[in-house]
Amino acid sequence: MITNVAAYPTDIFGIIGLWAGLLLMLFIYSYPLWKENPLYRFAEHTFVALAMAIAIGTNLNSLNNTAISPLTTKGQFLLIIPIILGFMLYLLLVPKYRWVSRYPVAILVGSSLGVGMAGQPLPNIVSQIIDTITPPKAGAAALNWFNFVYIAIGLICVTMYFLLTYEHTGPVKPVTQLGRYFIMLALGAYFGNTVLFRFSMLASRAQFLLQVLKIIPM
Amino acid sequence: MSEIYKKELVFLVTGIVTIVMILDYFFVFSPVKDLATQLRTWALVIQLMAIGLGAINLVRVHYRNIQKRTQTWIYSAWFMVIFALLLVLALMKISQGGQEYWLYTWFFTYPYTSLGATLYAITGFYIFSAAYRAFRARNIEAAILLVAGIFVMLANAPIGEVITPWFPLIGNWCNSVGQIPGMRTFAIVGAFGLLALGLRTLLGKERGFYSEVA
Amino acid sequence: MSDKTIWDKLQNVDRRVFYWILFVGLAVPFMFPLGLPVAVTPPTQGLYDGLRKLQAGDVVVLSINSGVSAWGDCLPAMVASVTQVLRQDAKLVIWSIGYVDCDITYREIVNRVPEFKSKTYGMDWVYFGYCPGQESNAALLRDNIRGVYTKDIQGTPTDNVPMMKNINGAKDIAMVLTSDTGDVQTYYRQQWGPTKSSRDNFGAVKYPVAEIGIAMNLSGDMSFFLSGDLFGLTGGSRGGAELEKLVGIKGDGTITMDSINVSHLLVIGAIVLANVGYLLTRGKK
Repeated sequence: MITNVAAYPTDIFGIIGLWAGLLLMLFIYSYPLWKENPLYRFAEHTFVALAMAIAIGTNLNSLNNTAISPLTTKGQFLLIIPIILGFMLYLLLVPKYRWVSRYPVAILVGSSLGVGMAGQPLPNIVSQIIDTITPPKAGAAALNWFNFVYIAIGLICVTMYFLLTYEHTGPVKPVTQLGRYFIMLALGAYFGNTVLFRFSMLASRAQFLLQVLKIIPM
Repeated sequence: MSEIYKKELVFLVTGIVTIVMILDYFFVFSPVKDLATQLRTWALVIQLMAIGLGAINLVRVHYRNIQKRTQTWIYSAWFMVIFALLLVLALMKISQGGQEYWLYTWFFTYPYTSLGATLYAITGFYIFSAAYRAFRARNIEAAILLVAGIFVMLANAPIGEVITPWFPLIGNWCNSVGQIPGMRTFAIVGAFGLLALGLRTLLGKERGFYSEVA
Repeated sequence: MSDKTIWDKLQNVDRRVFYWILFVGLAVPFMFPLGLPVAVTPPTQGLYDGLRKLQAGDVVVLSINSGVSAWGDCLPAMVASVTQVLRQDAKLVIWSIGYVDCDITYREIVNRVPEFKSKTYGMDWVYFGYCPGQESNAALLRDNIRGVYTKDIQGTPTDNVPMMKNINGAKDIAMVLTSDTGDVQTYYRQQWGPTKSSRDNFGAVKYPVAEIGIAMNLSGDMSFFLSGDLFGLTGGSRGGAELEKLVGIKGDGTITMDSINVSHLLVIGAIVLANVGYLLTRGKK
């Protein structure tokens, strides 16, 4: 087995940085483990400031590479139009001319909506339905057939549960009730995976604490 | 007349851009492809420039705190100091063609990484206390949710298999088959929902994206 | 005299007690590891089998769309898959359309994968950094990478990067690995997915997209793995541990599993205890 190891820093700024990271982490955790306090607020504000500044810097760098550099050095003059539209977006802050910001938003919305709408049917509808109605191959195990029937019936029941244009009474009621049970099972599985996600994050922080204190190797 | 270029023309632009994107996806037609690529580039540039709006709002809020000397003004002042410092370092990075100043790298590698990971991990604590205080099997549906959750947790943790092989067997079944009707329906219904939303936007009936006229 | 039972008292325990129990419970296994074996599940096996099919010179896109907050879930699997890609002598194009802090994730991957030492930047791998745009960006990258990334992270124009000479879109790339905390794999599935389809096979042949996701994505995206829209899927640190086992490395995914064992048992214990108390006290109220 090969062990991946990222080494403990040896330079003074690296060690200071590591301990600064640990202290900030402990400041944040002082809130759930003790109570709200100025150290938590300090760390929280630090993060917001860092995150916003880094986001702006990264976006401006990308803007330089994507628009400004091609405009100024490669003669792609058409790129002046989205830059002007980008500035129009800031008129959102001026109440009298707020309507001007609708145009860049229109392009953003249209672009996202167009690609989203076009991309939805094939993988999210057609592909899913085909997989649901495709039976197992001949000679497949009984469990495979059970799973196939389970998924097919479940899909119908849950879909009927989400059809809200009619009341769920009479013969429809047991079907939609069954649909609720299928949904609960799905949400239960989702909850189980959510627990793994949250605890993985927390475990990595506990690991970081022990690594900085050199109780376990980094 | 002003209503036309403040509202109707905006919906027309949205509609045209949407239709061009859809046509580009389904048809191989060079002029449409070129126009769609151009519009996507424009959308990308607009999105890159939009980050400033968030920054301006944030700075305004904190500046007001400092000006009015509220209870939390000292934190706002600290925010402004760190924000200004990192912004200058980030702009220096751009002016040097992407080469980072060592202080920027230091802030990025140590405080930012640790804080980013820590703030999201804090929810792990709340999951645990919620599991104890709030998750009750009050009815059959809640019981199904909890039982499925427990089996999936024991499938995810290797100790489940040590206790009994049935835990990962049932847990993995829940993951790979049991949840599929629900999750697949969410995907299908969500896709139809987006198509409906798109149609409403094309018809000009969906106005939530746009700010009110001043 | 108080008529509170032990169950009533347990209900009112300060929540900070639970937080401390949890934090200590997560930390102790790192000091005293159990090393329990991890069984491999079909989605992770699918990802590994897909990586094994790579030929020398094939180009793989690694789209880093998870931030530092998701390192616990996504980083082990990213490290393992990059290790396997480089072992197969395939080339890597790394970018991000989802997270601003992808730079730090990229550096961490390069630090942790020893195979990078025998490779040359620009010839065997290239990193383009972050560019937002979500699904529109995914569509743009499908047709024209240079329309989004005119330079790599070192400032070299894309045309001057040796390995990018004949690469400008989905048709030149063998597969996409996307590390994901949400919907980004959706964008590749929807925009790149039908690229390999034709009138004859309409939708049946799909572009190879695999997801290295957080644990919740195992729930949300399992349907797409079963329908063939994703050829592989790892979920959370468990998926990372499985992939590490297949690739033959011991990384953070495997190391974290002991901690996951304790934490999961604590949560299950809490749920069972709470429900037993609820059932016992329900009739008395």
